[in-house]
Amino acid sequence: MTVLSGFASDLPPLLWSGAVSGCLYGLGALGLVMTYKSSRVVNFAHGNLAGLAAFLVYGFSNGALLNLSWGNAVLFSAVLIALIATLSYALISPIVFKSDLASTIATLGIGLMLQGLIQLLFGADIVNLDLPVPRFGFSLAGVRVSSYDLTVLVVTLLIVGALFFVIDRTRLGIAFRAVSTNPFASRVCGLNLRSVHLFAWLSSAVLGLVAALLIVPTTFLSSTTMSSFMLQAFTAAVVGGFNSLPGAAVGGVLVGIAMNLFAFYVSPEFMNTFLLAVILLTLNLFPGGLLEKVSGGRV
Amino acid sequence: MSDMAQATKRLRLARGGLLDLRNLGAAALLCLLLALPFVVGGFLLYTLTLCFANALGALSVSLLVRYSGEVSIGHSFFVALGAYAVAIMEKQFGLSLLLSLPVAVLLGIAGGIIFAYPSRRLSGIYLAVSTMALALALPEILVHSEKVTGGFEGLYVTLVPLPSVAKELQRYYIALAILVVACLALAQLRGSRQGLALLMARAHPSAAEAFGITRGWARVSVFAISAALASVGGAVMAFASSTVSPNSFTLWSSIFLLVGSVVSLNRLTLPAGIIGGAFLTLVPNYLASAGDWVPILYGAALVAVTLCVNCASDIRLLLARRERP
Repeated sequence: MTVLSGFASDLPPLLWSGAVSGCLYGLGALGLVMTYKSSRVVNFAHGNLAGLAAFLVYGFSNGALLNLSWGNAVLFSAVLIALIATLSYALISPIVFKSDLASTIATLGIGLMLQGLIQLLFGADIVNLDLPVPRFGFSLAGVRVSSYDLTVLVVTLLIVGALFFVIDRTRLGIAFRAVSTNPFASRVCGLNLRSVHLFAWLSSAVLGLVAALLIVPTTFLSSTTMSSFMLQAFTAAVVGGFNSLPGAAVGGVLVGIAMNLFAFYVSPEFMNTFLLAVILLTLNLFPGGLLEKVSGGRV
Repeated sequence: MSDMAQATKRLRLARGGLLDLRNLGAAALLCLLLALPFVVGGFLLYTLTLCFANALGALSVSLLVRYSGEVSIGHSFFVALGAYAVAIMEKQFGLSLLLSLPVAVLLGIAGGIIFAYPSRRLSGIYLAVSTMALALALPEILVHSEKVTGGFEGLYVTLVPLPSVAKELQRYYIALAILVVACLALAQLRGSRQGLALLMARAHPSAAEAFGITRGWARVSVFAISAALASVGGAVMAFASSTVSPNSFTLWSSIFLLVGSVVSLNRLTLPAGIIGGAFLTLVPNYLASAGDWVPILYGAALVAVTLCVNCASDIRLLLARRERP
């Protein structure tokens, strides 16, 4: 009986905090899925770029590089990150249409360069980077809700809402959907594939920046933490299906909750192993992700 | 496609008994490497021994790329499998490399099959993503199973197979011998029926299925061979550096193996392996003062080689078009 009541009191906070961090994995996964859907490239540099973004915000606001206010630092880093994303797309643009394999390898190279850049600029420092939000908290049905949680939820909803609005309602979004469904036909119709790709890469970089800024306060920032965050985003993308934007968001929340439950009930030390198991299981049970559309095939 | 055409051409050449210039080059390189310990010594010899180990690792990634068209960024897992097999066999049973090497091979094959089986039907990106998870899971497994693996500190490898010969020379020659045997085995695979079957499954999947070579089977067997090769590389690495620790098996070391493979143009010959291994071993050694530049350099090399290969294939296509109007 005590076990059961303990379970009942443990579970809601675990689900809540899992869902909150899951939102951030979802943001990371959305960026991966956007680049994959439009240009068929799995961007392995995504996590490194997001890590660099967070480091830049730190450097610009703490006086390591510049001494700006937090908002200006974010703005400045966003511009720089957009520039780097454009540059990295320009680097691999000759091979994007030819070989998925070669372009994926090239993104690994870009990721290595960004990682080196982080180490070069900031060394092996471990950095704390907080959000400038007032601290408060309240209890709701046995769950402690903090200002951080609310910030994460609000920002995620705003960003995801804006993204889906753009994709659903604007010409750019229609172009994006067309290109990700059938690149050849959209080219025949006169769409510029490059600009659609660029839109996807830029928005993915911004999503990465937001996700990195929001996730750093829960842990700390070092040149190595970003690779495990990237794994969480990748797992979310696999769970939701690499082809589905809503899937990425849902997958993020699911992965966040599952990770929290695993850490609490089994062991907090084997998170990456657990994610590996999740990836392999998902690939076997739902090869196209949980939200895959069922469609027939022709022989 | 071109791989297959090349393989059949090789086969014909071998049967015709024609001398191959490339084989001569490889033989010359081998002679040079055999004679080297009489000229140089100490640190360079040690570095070269490590280079042979890395060469095996780079070759294992190249094998995967060539035969199945997949990339893996988790091969440090299989390298670690071999390295820890050697160290644990020594610690628990007091056996030296020659007896633990077969164990490392078997472990590599088993690990490769277990890992590739779930992803046998999936397209390349999913394999790449799951190998990334594999590489990230490895350090925490190694650190948290302290009783067997020695945790953070790792284990030492001190036994050598021949007690009477100088340790350095032994390490060098045994590593070289293993690398040469591996390269000969790869050449044999390339000309064999099985090798052709695997190449066919990559180039013409449906035709291969008609012959009874299913894609899943090809994927699993290529991965198993590649993992076994990586595991041998790990065994040599442990033997050469006389220590194993989780620090040397991270996601980055996996990606470096891929860099070594790409830099050697994914070729499966002895010189290519040495180039890949040398790039991985010598660059960090000689740029030790500029440690932080190493990832940037590797990344730049990866991007540059990929772009150059693409450029070269463009030019070849253009020339071919010009030849037949």
